[in-house]
Amino acid sequence: MALNPMHQFSIKPLVTEPLFAISGHPIYFTNQALLMVIVVLATSLFLVLAVKPNRLVPTRGQSMAEMSYEFVANMIHSATGEDGLKFFPFVFTLFMFVLCCNFFGMVPGSFTVTSQIAVTLALACLVMLVVILTGFAKHGIRFFMLFVPKAPIYILPLLIVIEVISFCSRPISLSVRLFANMLAGHTLLAVFAGFVVSLGAAGGVLSVLSIAPMALIVGIMLLELLVAFLQAYVFAILTCIYLNEALHLHDHH
Amino acid sequence: MTAPDPDRLNDLGKRLDELQTRQAASVKRAPPSQSGIAFRFTTELVAALVVGGGLGWGIDWLFGHFGFHTRPVFLVLFFVVGIAAGIRNVMRAATEINAEIAKVRSSDADAGEEK
Repeated sequence: MALNPMHQFSIKPLVTEPLFAISGHPIYFTNQALLMVIVVLATSLFLVLAVKPNRLVPTRGQSMAEMSYEFVANMIHSATGEDGLKFFPFVFTLFMFVLCCNFFGMVPGSFTVTSQIAVTLALACLVMLVVILTGFAKHGIRFFMLFVPKAPIYILPLLIVIEVISFCSRPISLSVRLFANMLAGHTLLAVFAGFVVSLGAAGGVLSVLSIAPMALIVGIMLLELLVAFLQAYVFAILTCIYLNEALHLHDHH
Repeated sequence: MTAPDPDRLNDLGKRLDELQTRQAASVKRAPPSQSGIAFRFTTELVAALVVGGGLGWGIDWLFGHFGFHTRPVFLVLFFVVGIAAGIRNVMRAATEINAEIAKVRSSDADAGEEK
């Protein structure tokens, strides 16, 4: 049971009593919900406390908060230009939430929220909703021009269908990328951890050999930290790219 | 304590500005890794396939609901269109990644010239 590498992804209710019910389906407070609450509280608390001193020469914490602010602000500015900056709160929240979920998931024994497709798909759908609403708010009905590429009229019907499918596939590719990366990395870690346990239990020379997968785990752990950051970055930059299209339609072509 | 020399202050300000612009230019953004690019392309392609196939299946189901037995005509049709949309996605992703790599290369070249 403990050696099952997929065991870490199982969702368990922490309280036996359901919180409430939606049309008969009981909603429990699960380990996943707990982790999300922890992530949100920890991130908010860190950011609020870090910028509290507000010194000219920043403390370590303030410097980290300022760095993440500048990182996201630069990302939005380079991807969408000046008028994209009003989406800073949205993109920054998304980036910090995904990043911290990934990092909190790296703590042994905790739970990786972003390894659940339900979470990443919900985030991706939120992004698409914001993109669509922005597009309609800014361009009105002209937003549909996003689906009309420059092409001869006789081929347009086919191209419009292709563009619509391409647009609809975005939330899926956005969520699957994050979810699959986290799932794969954590499964790999668990598999190698299983090797350590079974080699150690084998006794004799084999027990000594269990050092090898242990060393590998350390390496993979470092790699996973990089992936955790990179996937949060990719999620945020793609959000910016999609927002840019909604804001400027085909202007940049 | 004497008043600070304005020339020296201006000079200091100028040097600080120079340093800051140089540092901003040399902040390197690593180009996307090979496996990252591969994974990006795969998800883009497969996602469009899934959406295309799903859409076709849905249309078939809807028509079947009203008594027209079109299954699997729309499923096949939209699956093919989904492939086209997937390739469109991959091409778009490739342009984005190329632009990103070009940006990293040009900032590298700038940093190289200053040294």
